[in-house]
Amino acid sequence: LTKSSGQSRNAILVSHRQKGNPLLKHIRNVKWEFADIICDYLLGQNSCALYLSLRYHLLHPDYLYYRIRELQKNFRLRVVLCHVDVEDVVKPLLEVTKTALLHDCTLLCGWSLEECGRYLETIKVYENKPADIIQGPMDTDYLSRLNHALTSVRHVNKTDVVTLGSTFGSLSHIMDASMEDLARCPGIGERKVRRLYDTFHEPFRRMV
Amino acid sequence: MLDFQQHIITDIIAGDGDSTSSSSSSSSSGSSSSLVILSSGLALPKLISALLHLHSPADGSILLLHSHSSSFPLILPDSTFDISSDLPAHARTSLYCSGGVLSITPRILIVDLLSERVPVSKIAGIVIPNVERITETSTEGFIVRVMKGRNGNVWVRAFSDKPHAMVAGFMKVERIMKCLGITRLHLWPRFQVYVSQELEKDPPVVVDVRVPMSKYMVGIQKAILEVMDACLKEMRKTNKVDVEDLTVENGLFKSFDEIVRMQLDPIWHTLGKKTKQLVSDLKTLRKLLDYLVRYDAVSYLKYLDTLRVSESFRSVWIFAESSYKIFELAKKRVYRYVRSDGTKLDDSSKNSTSRKRKSKGDDSNEEAGSGGYGLQNPASSIILEEVLEEAPKWKALRELLEEIEEERQKTTLPAGQLCDNGEENGCIVLVVCKDEHSCMQLQECILESPQKVMQAQWEQYLLSKVLLHDTQTRCKKRPKSAKGFGILDGIVPVTPTSSTEASSTSTQEHDALLAAASEIRKKAKADLAGKTSMPQIGTEGQGKVMNKRNKKPPRNNKSSQVRKHKNKASANKDQSMLPSEDDEQLGEVNEDISDNHSGDAVIDNAAAHLGPSGNNDRKTDDVEAIRTKPLPQVQFYALESHKSVLDVLKPSVIIVYHPDMTFVREIEVYKAENPLRNLKVYFLFYEDSTEGQKFEASIRRENKAFESLIRQKSLMIIPVNQGKLGAGSNFNLEQQASQNSLTRKAGGRKEAEKEMQIVVDMREFMSSLPNVLHQKGMRIIPVTLEVGDYVLSPLMCVERKSIQDLFSSFTSGRLYHQVEIMSRYYRIPVLLIEFSQEKSFSFQSASDIGDDVTPNNIISKLSLLVLHFPRLRILWSRSLHATADIFYSLKANQDEPDETKAIRVGVPSEEDMVDNDVRAENYNTSAVEFLRRLPGVTDSNYRAIMDGCKSLAELALLPLDRLAELMGGHKAARTLREFLDAKYPTLL
Repeated sequence: LTKSSGQSRNAILVSHRQKGNPLLKHIRNVKWEFADIICDYLLGQNSCALYLSLRYHLLHPDYLYYRIRELQKNFRLRVVLCHVDVEDVVKPLLEVTKTALLHDCTLLCGWSLEECGRYLETIKVYENKPADIIQGPMDTDYLSRLNHALTSVRHVNKTDVVTLGSTFGSLSHIMDASMEDLARCPGIGERKVRRLYDTFHEPFRRMV
Repeated sequence: MLDFQQHIITDIIAGDGDSTSSSSSSSSSGSSSSLVILSSGLALPKLISALLHLHSPADGSILLLHSHSSSFPLILPDSTFDISSDLPAHARTSLYCSGGVLSITPRILIVDLLSERVPVSKIAGIVIPNVERITETSTEGFIVRVMKGRNGNVWVRAFSDKPHAMVAGFMKVERIMKCLGITRLHLWPRFQVYVSQELEKDPPVVVDVRVPMSKYMVGIQKAILEVMDACLKEMRKTNKVDVEDLTVENGLFKSFDEIVRMQLDPIWHTLGKKTKQLVSDLKTLRKLLDYLVRYDAVSYLKYLDTLRVSESFRSVWIFAESSYKIFELAKKRVYRYVRSDGTKLDDSSKNSTSRKRKSKGDDSNEEAGSGGYGLQNPASSIILEEVLEEAPKWKALRELLEEIEEERQKTTLPAGQLCDNGEENGCIVLVVCKDEHSCMQLQECILESPQKVMQAQWEQYLLSKVLLHDTQTRCKKRPKSAKGFGILDGIVPVTPTSSTEASSTSTQEHDALLAAASEIRKKAKADLAGKTSMPQIGTEGQGKVMNKRNKKPPRNNKSSQVRKHKNKASANKDQSMLPSEDDEQLGEVNEDISDNHSGDAVIDNAAAHLGPSGNNDRKTDDVEAIRTKPLPQVQFYALESHKSVLDVLKPSVIIVYHPDMTFVREIEVYKAENPLRNLKVYFLFYEDSTEGQKFEASIRRENKAFESLIRQKSLMIIPVNQGKLGAGSNFNLEQQASQNSLTRKAGGRKEAEKEMQIVVDMREFMSSLPNVLHQKGMRIIPVTLEVGDYVLSPLMCVERKSIQDLFSSFTSGRLYHQVEIMSRYYRIPVLLIEFSQEKSFSFQSASDIGDDVTPNNIISKLSLLVLHFPRLRILWSRSLHATADIFYSLKANQDEPDETKAIRVGVPSEEDMVDNDVRAENYNTSAVEFLRRLPGVTDSNYRAIMDGCKSLAELALLPLDRLAELMGGHKAARTLREFLDAKYPTLL
C-alpha cells in the first residue's frame, strides 16, 4: 500500500475489483490507476471509499458488511458511496444506512454515475482544502477577527474584548498576561480570568 | 346574525348537545366533532366568534388553534387569553384550567401536552379555523390524537371557507376528518337554500360597467392567450402530465401551478429542460395576463423589460411569434418614434395587431429594422414621442364617481345635511382594489390627474433606463437585480442576454430612448438641486422629446348597456399629432403647475377623504366640462389587507374595481345584515377580458368543489367508534404501533415491550417528524436542546436538515458549526438529510452536474464537510416516514437517551466543565478553538503548531522564523505575527 501511494500521490487508486465499472468513465478531473488495495477507491492517505449500487445490494444484501469488515481500522474517513439506481429505495437504503452507520462509515448517495464519479473526484481534489467555503462569510478587519478569536473563550463578550484590547494594547500581550493583570480589568470577573488564563496557559494537549 | 348563520351554529351545537350537557352521564356516547365548509365570503370569522361567545366557562376551556399566517379578523370574547411561549409553564397550566377561550399555536400546545402540562380533563374542545391547511402529518392531528387518548370527550370544530382547497388531492376531506377524529361534515355552499334565500331576499342594486380595453390591451391579451395555448400544447406532448386539467381556463389560476407541480415534482429530476421551462413559462404568462389589467402601461412595459433581461435564453415563449407582439404592443402603449420632421414611422392607428414586416421602411419590424434600414435617411433623426396610454378603467372610475355625486345631489339634497351631522360615513364611496399599490395609484389619479401619474411613472422608467445603460457600459455582465418571477426554482440559470436590448430595438430607437432618458435625468438633477421633490412636467418642450400627452380614450368609451352617461365630452381626440398642439400643451402644463401649488394644501389633509367641496379637478385635458364637477367622499380598500372594512365604514356605494368573488359575498352578507340601508354596487369589468373570465371561473370552480364535496359526503365511510376515540381506541393505536414495531424488527420481541424514547428539540415541532415518530409508538420528550435536534441515545445525536435548510445552512456556515459542536459532545454525530415525499429524491439531474469540480456545487460542500468531520454519519431519507423507520431501526440496539443529560449538553455548568465533551479529556479544547480562529492558521497547519509549542502563551512569544517553520511558510507566519502584535486601536 505504501509503495503504490508513494509513486502517485495525486491519483485515485482503484482496486482491480472495480474493473469494468462504468463509473470509471466519469472520473475525468483526476488521474486514476489500478492498484492492489483492499478498498475500492483510495482517495488519500487516510480516506477510502467503497462503491455500492443499490441494485447489487438487493441481490447480495451481505456484501457491504463483508467489505466494510475487510477495511479494518486503517482509515480516518471511510466512505460508502451508494449509487441509487432502483425505483423503490426506502427499504434497501434503510439497510445500507444502518450498516454504514453501525460500522463507522460515512454514507454518500449519488443518483447517477456522473454524480458518484464527482464525489470521488471532489474528495480527492479537496483532500487538503480548508473548510472556509462552508464556514460562512467572515469579516476580515482587525476588530472582527479579534472578536472572533477572543469570544471563542466561553463567557467572554464583545465588551470584554474592548476592555482587554485597550488595557493590554495587543493580542500577544493579552495572551501573555498574568492572572493578576487580567483580574484588574473592569468587568472581567474571577470566572472569566480563570477561563482566559487556562485557555492561554494550559498546554494544547493534556498529558494523561 | 343572519338566519343561515344561526342554522349553522345550531347544527354544530346540536351535535355536541349530548356531550356538553350531559357529559357525565354518557361519556362514551361521545362528543361529536364537526367540520364546517362554507362558501368563501360568508362571514366565517363572525360565525366562529359567535360560537366562542356562546361558550360557558363551566364546560371547560376552549383551545383556539391559530397559525401565525392566518390573518383572521376574529372578534374574540373578553375571556380570551393568548397563550404564548413567553408565559412561564405554571401560568400556562393554570390558564388551561381557567375555562376561558385560549388562543394558542399548535406548536406550543403539543409541547405542553407532551410534557403533561395540560390538564386534559379541563378542556372542552378545540377550534381550528383554517382547516384546509391541515395534512395527515400536521401537528393539529397530533394534538387531537394525544388529547383524545386522554379525554374522549374533547370535541373538535374545524372550519374552512376555501372549498376548492378542500378537494385538492385524493379524498382530502375524509383524510382530514379521520386525523382530527371528526364524524360530521356540514356543507354550506352559497347555493344552499337557506343561504341563497336570505341573501337574495333584498339584494343590493348592482350595476355592471363593462369598460372596453384599449385596442393594444386587446392585442396583448390575445397574444398572451395564444402563447399560453401553445405552451399547453407543448406540455401535453411530453406525456408526463395528466392532460385533463391542462386548460387555458385553469391556467388563469394560481392553483394551476400546484396541479402541475404536484404531478411533476416526484419526477422533476427526470424531466427535460424544456418541460421545466414550460412550467415556468406558463407561470410567467399568467402573471402577464393578470398585470395587464392591473398595472398601468408604463409599469407593464417595465415589467416586460425586466423579464426580457432575466428570462433565460431557453424560454420557449419569449421567442414565439406572438410574444413578439406582446412586447411590441406594450411599447406602443407608452411611446413611439417619429422622424424629426413629424411623420410617423409607424402608423399606429392602423391595425397594429397584424405584424407588418416591411411596411414603411425603418422600424416597424425591429429585427428587420436594425441597422440596415436606418441608413435610408440617417440625417433625419428619430425622436421619441410619448403616448402614455391610461388605463381605460381610470376614466371610467372618475366618471362613475362624478355621476354618483351628481345623483346624490340631485335626488337627496338634504342628504348632504344628513351626512354632515354625522349619519356616520353614510355617504362614503368605497373603491375596492386588489392590492395596496393600485389603491395608491387610483387615489393619485383621482386627487391629481391620470396624466400626472403616467408622467411620473414614465420619468421613473426613463431614469431607470439610464441607470441600466450606465451599468451596462461599465461592466459587460449586467447585474440585474430583478430576477424575474418566471424562474421557478433557480434550476434555470439566469443568463442575461445582454445583447437583447440592442438586437431587438433598432439602434436609432435605442439612442432616442436614451436621449430622452438622459434629458429627464438632467432635469431630475436640476430639480433635486432646486429642492423640488417631484420632477415637474413641462420642461420637455425644448429637448428632443416632444411631449404630447396624448390621452387616448377608449374609442367606444362606455358602450355600456346599463348606463347612459352623456359622455360625448370624452370625444376622441384626433390621434394624428400636430406640431402646434405642442405649444398649446405647454401652456396647459404650466397652468397645471400653478394649479398644483394651490392644490397642495388640499391634498395634504384630504389624502384619503376627498371632500366633495375641497377638490378641484385638475385635468389638463380637453374634457373641460367635467373639470369642475365635484366628487363624493372616496375611501380605498385593498383586498389583500383582509380587514372587515364593510362593517367599519358602512358605505352606501361600493365600486368593485377589481372583481373578486369573496368580496362580492361579503357585500351580500353586509346587505342582508343591514336590510334598511340602500346599497349600490358597481362592478368595473374590462369587456371581453380574462378578468371577467377569471371571476366567472372562480364561481364555477367553487360550485364544482361543493358538488364534489357533496358526492364525497354521500360515499364517506366513517367508523362508528371514530367519534368516541376514547381511551379504548387509543389503546388500539398503541397496540397497533407495537405490532408495527414487531413486524419491523424481526425477532426484537424483548424490546417491543419497552417504550422507545426520543428527546426532541422544541423548535423541531414546526415539522411533522415528531408527529410521525409518535404515530410509530415512540415516546416524544420535548425539551430545549443546545446541541442537535433529536437525541436517539446517549451516544447518538441527529441534526435534521430538509433540502432547503441544507443548502442555506451550508451557505451561512451554520451547518459547519452545528456539526462541529455535535461532534464535540456525541460519539456518533449524525446529519439527517431529509427529502420531501412530494419532491424528487435527488439533488440534481445528471445533466446539471457540469464538467468540473466547482466550489458551489452541493457535492463539493458535502465532500468538504465529510473530509473535515470523518466521524460524522449521514442519513439519507426519502421522506418523513422513512426517517421514522430509520430512527426506529437505529434505536433498536441502543440505550434510551437521558433527557436531563441531553439538556445539559453544550451548556456549560458552573465549573465550566462540559459533560460528555469527548475531546476535552485529551485536549485543551478552548485553546485549540482559539488557535484555529487566528489568521494564518489553517486546518493543515494547526496540528503542527500544537506540536511545536506548548501553549498559546508560548506561541505569543515565538519569533517569526520559528513560526514560519511550524506553519510551513513565511506568508502565513507573517500574517499571524502581525495580528498578534498589531496595536489595538485606541478608543480616543
